Order: sequence, then structure tokens, then C-alpha cells
Amino acid sequence: MRPRARFHPLVMLGPTLALLLVFFVLPIGVAGYESFFSWDMLTPPRYVGTANYRALAAHGELLHIALRTLGYSALVVTGTMTLGLGLALLLDRPGRLFAFVRASVFSAYVVSWVAVALLWMWLLDGNAGVVGKLFRLLGGPPVELLGDPTWALPALALVAVWKLTGYAMIVFLAGLQGVPASLLEAAALDGAGAWGRFRHVTLPLLAPTASFVATTSLVTSFQAFDVVRIMTQGGPARATELFVYAIYEQIFLNLSVGRASALTVVFFAVLLAVASLQLRALRTRGGA
Amino acid sequence: MGPVVSRRVLLSALAASLATSTIGCRRRARPQRRDGRIVVTFWYAYGDQVRRVLLELVARYNASQPRVLVEAVHQGDYFECLAKLRTALAAGAAPTLSHVVCEIVPYLARAGVLEALDGYDGATSIPFVPQLDQRGAFTGGARAPLSCIPFNRSTPIAFLNGRLFEEARLAPPRTWDELVEVARALTTRSSSGDVRWGFEVPTSWWYWVSMVGQAGGRLVDPDGRVTLGGSAGEEALRFWQRLVHTERVMRPPPGRDYQAWQSSNESFLQGRVAMMWSSTAFVRYLEDNARFPVVAAPLPRRLRASVPTGGTMFVLMRSAPDEEKQAGWDFVRWMCDAEQTLTWSTRTGYMPVTRPAVERLQERGWYAAHPNDRVAYDQLADVDPWPWLPELFRLERDVVEPRLEDAVLTGRDARQVLDQARDEAARPA
Repeated sequence: MRPRARFHPLVMLGPTLALLLVFFVLPIGVAGYESFFSWDMLTPPRYVGTANYRALAAHGELLHIALRTLGYSALVVTGTMTLGLGLALLLDRPGRLFAFVRASVFSAYVVSWVAVALLWMWLLDGNAGVVGKLFRLLGGPPVELLGDPTWALPALALVAVWKLTGYAMIVFLAGLQGVPASLLEAAALDGAGAWGRFRHVTLPLLAPTASFVATTSLVTSFQAFDVVRIMTQGGPARATELFVYAIYEQIFLNLSVGRASALTVVFFAVLLAVASLQLRALRTRGGA
Repeated sequence: MGPVVSRRVLLSALAASLATSTIGCRRRARPQRRDGRIVVTFWYAYGDQVRRVLLELVARYNASQPRVLVEAVHQGDYFECLAKLRTALAAGAAPTLSHVVCEIVPYLARAGVLEALDGYDGATSIPFVPQLDQRGAFTGGARAPLSCIPFNRSTPIAFLNGRLFEEARLAPPRTWDELVEVARALTTRSSSGDVRWGFEVPTSWWYWVSMVGQAGGRLVDPDGRVTLGGSAGEEALRFWQRLVHTERVMRPPPGRDYQAWQSSNESFLQGRVAMMWSSTAFVRYLEDNARFPVVAAPLPRRLRASVPTGGTMFVLMRSAPDEEKQAGWDFVRWMCDAEQTLTWSTRTGYMPVTRPAVERLQERGWYAAHPNDRVAYDQLADVDPWPWLPELFRLERDVVEPRLEDAVLTGRDARQVLDQARDEAARPA
């Protein structure tokens, strides 16, 4: 279809581009500009060059936040995709029971992060929580997962996986509907077993779906805030201080707009790089 | 049938709402009025019992006179309220009155957002308890314009499980060494893995500052250089590490800020901790909810006794219209009257902030009936004032607080941790 006038496509794209410009490009540009200033919102900003970036880089703080966020994302994305795909394969069957289980698994996704965080705080409590009691029943010592610098981040990732798995499952179920039954039958006639059919037919055809789930889970995990704010406030010993929470803490609690802006710029760059790499990897695999 | 609302109408409505919201952000020149009364918006940060008492007092004030209507608006905990207040100040939408943690007052005063109160009727002649108002709570506070009025003020204090102490025939520890001994004696580990901890304290700035003072240090030297207590700061961290890792008698509570405080209170009330450091503000809450006698004791000494003050101060926003500020001051002045101060402190556990209120408590036999309140009040003699330093709040939130847990939980070298903190303090915010 050819446009009647050359500017028509631009007119059609205009509203979206304007929104992107106002709510995405402009804020990132402003953050980039403000990252070169020391500013607390109440007194006049003072130009400090790259001091905010240097302060964040000092003592490895920035690197630790980046690694922590990447680690958390890796746990969330792999956990969500693996469990989501597994459940989708398991529950891709007719019948009321399966429909009920599918709905139950998905229900976690529609509950607010705040409610989920509060629920899991109670479950993970070292003394009164189910997890703590389970550990003691098994003869282990009392564990305070959210109070332990080693286990706090995996515990938060577990909560995110629990919440997001239902979403991944639904998307994979939709993807499975697009796998032609004829191909599976042909593979079966050729002697392929269940694993062979999954490995060589289902999985390649699910690649675009997996790519979508991986990207959306990655973005969601990078944006983790509510769960950190409610469950750990970045502690213990900064073990759960992820990018978005660190930005919030810098700007609203530590009064450092410049530092928060510098973190935002780095966060944007990291997310862009990771999402690009991930999309490229998944597309290459999908096209192969 | 045509559309019910045309695009032109929709666009006009959008433009009108944008224009209205822009105007709404401007600084108001005239006070808000309702039914002829000046409305004072008061942002506060409490929950539960303290919130109920405050709202009762606000209602009592509103009923006591026809000219001013105070509207109290809850804004989360101290730090959430502060975050909202700063954002509102930047957006030109600040309330008339709020209360803020005392450590941030010098910063807000320097930023020029607080109303100087010296010229307000009676502001400099209210007979405050010396350690609790701006002049006594800050070194150099008397030289600065009067920017704040004490409201809910507190100090750290030790709370002991009276039953456990009596059973073990132990006295409250008076020194750090005694604290270790008592905590050792009261820590028990069952075969099923359950632990009753001898001691618990949130890993937070306020308690670290107490220990720095007890070890003979100060955050800032007389020249104004930030030292973070020097070797005393390191000694405080090492003592904490010893309690957690070497002696294994202290449970660092999970969570940060008030979540950790709440966790400590719960552990103490459930009998899972024999002794904790907390705030005098919790004395009533703990007494009312414990199934054992709660005994308050002063914090132990190392080289000397020392506690900082905590809690919040009333502040009036400079950006509010003059009539509103005057009305806000009228409410603050009313809250400082002995009767309101008494109601506030006896029902919450916060310190009575004026001398007449203390005298009335003594006359009425309050301290004889509530010895824990007496301990809290007597401990005011050990108060070390905060430095009047605009960077003080940043030192707390950005420089020291995040590093404390790192040192205490992971056992990192105390000197290295504080060297990093001093390095951070020297950088621009």
C-alpha cells in the first residue's frame, strides 16, 4: 500500500513518536545532563563534571549494583522461562482440572507486587514462616533468608519467579497452539520420541515466543523495585540493592539528584546492551 | 449518530486541565480557607497508637478555637514523609507545617526552605528541656536562626526482659564488658536449633552514634572536619562485630530502618531476645504489649555515657502564605503547652519537651508510677548534641548507614569501612 502523500506515514507515526520523545528520550537526555551536576532539588545545581560517575565507580559500588542486577535478572529470566515452559507443556491439555491449574498458576501474576512481597515476607520469616519451620523440621539451623547477605537476593528472585511464571506459562501456551500437529505427527511417524519431537520440532518453533518471554521478563526483572522496597530496602549489607532501588534511594533518601541521574544513564546503557544481545542471540537461534 | 464528545471538545478539556495543573503548582499567595477558617496542612509520619494520639490532639485544637483548621495528612514513615516533603518543596506544593527528623534540620535551614521562627510570638521563650530544642540538641544550634521546635523527641535506651533477668539474677549492664557477659548468660540454644538471643539492636546509624560517643569519639572534630569518630567509630564497629560473630550473642534484625526496629520489638515481645536497644518512644508500646515486666536501663558506657537525641522537630515551610504560617505557629505553640505535652508524652513514650510538663509529671507522681519513663528522662543528662552541620543527614543516609550492615554482617575490616565512608563524605553529593 502506498501513502497518498509522502508525509502521511510521519503523521501516522507522529503521536507515538511524540510520546516517546516526551516520556522516554527527553527524560533520558535530562538525566544525562543532570548527571554532571551536584543537585539536591532545593539548592542551585553545581557543575561537577564526571564526579558523580567517579563516585559511583569508587569502591566498586556501580559494578556491584550492575552485577547484582544482572545476577538477579539471570535468576529471574531463567527461572521464569524454565518453569513457564515446563508448566505450559504439562498443562497444555484439555479438561477442567488442567484449566483450573492453569488459572491457579496464572493468578499469581495478577496479584500486586506489594501483596506478593508481604505474603513472602511472612513465608520466609526465620521463626514464624513456613520456610523457617521447614528448615527446622529437616534438622537445619534457623534461617533468616532475607537477613542473610548470601541468600537475600536469591530469595527475592524466587519471589519474582513465583509471580512471573504464570505469565510465561500463558505466553508459552499460546505459542504451543501455533505448533502444527501435522509436524509433530510426521516426526512421530519418522520415529522421533517425545524428547526428540520437543527438541527438534516444538522448541525451534517456540523460539519467537521464548524471545518475547525472555525480553519482557528481563525488562521486568531490571525494573524490580516494589519487592526490594517492601522486603529488604536494599539490605542486608546492600545485598539486594538493585538499579531501580539504588536510583530511588539516591534521589529520594540521599538527596543526590546527580548521582541518581548518573545511575539512570548507566542503567539505561546496561539494559539496552543486555536486551540487544539477548534479542540477537534468540533471533539467530530462531533463524537457524 | 455523531460522537457524543467531539475531538475538539476533548482537546480543549485536555489543554484546560494541563493549564490548571500548572497553575496548581505555583506558590500560593493567599491562605486556604474553609468555612472562614485558615486551613493549616500538617504532614505527619506516624502509625498506630501515636497516630491516634496525634489526631486526637489535632481534633482537640480544632475544637478549641474558631480561627484555624489543622488538617493532618499521613505521609508514611519519617523518611517517606521527608522524601515527599522535599519533592513537594521543589514542586512548590509544600504543606504549611510538617515534622522532620532532627538530623535534617541544618540542611533544610541552609536550603532556605524553613521559616525562621525567632520573630514568632513567644518562640524563643518556651521553656524547653535544654537537651531537646534546637539550642541544646545541636552544637552551634543557638547561633543559627531558630528553625525548628521539638515535637516527638527520644533517645536510645536499653529494654530488658525483667523476668529473664530476675531468673538469671542479673543486673542491667553498665559497661560494654558487662553487656557481653549478660548477653552471654542470657543466650540459649536449644537442641532443635531455636535460639534465644541475649542482645539485639538494629544495625543503624543512631545506635552506632551512641557507641561512638560511649567510646569517647565525636562525628566531627572541633574544626568541623568529618572524622566519623576516628578510632572510636572503628571501636564501635568492632564491638558490634564481636557481639555478632565472636560471641554469637546478638541477632542483627532483618530489614532496614523501621522494619528492623519493628522486627527487634517483635522478637523482644515474643521473648526471643532478652535485652535490646531501642527508642524511648517505644516504652509505652512495649509495656502495654509484653507478657513480662519491661525494665528500661540507660545504655552502657565504654569510656563515658553518651546518647544522641532522635525523633522529630516541627518545621514551618517558608513558602506558605504568611497567614497560614501564623496559623501554623499558633498550633505549634498550643502543642507546646504543658497539658498537650503531657498528653503526648504519657500516652506515647516520647519525651516531655518542656520543663513545666516535666514538673507536672513529677507533681502528679507519674515518674514514681512509671520508673521506665524516669530512666529515659534521667538519661538526658548523657546527651551528646548533634553538630549543626548541613551535611549531617547525608552522613547518616548516604555515607554511614549503608556501610554499617556491610561491616557488621560480613565482618569487613572496621577501619577500611570507615576510611571508605570518610572518603565518600569528602565527595560532592
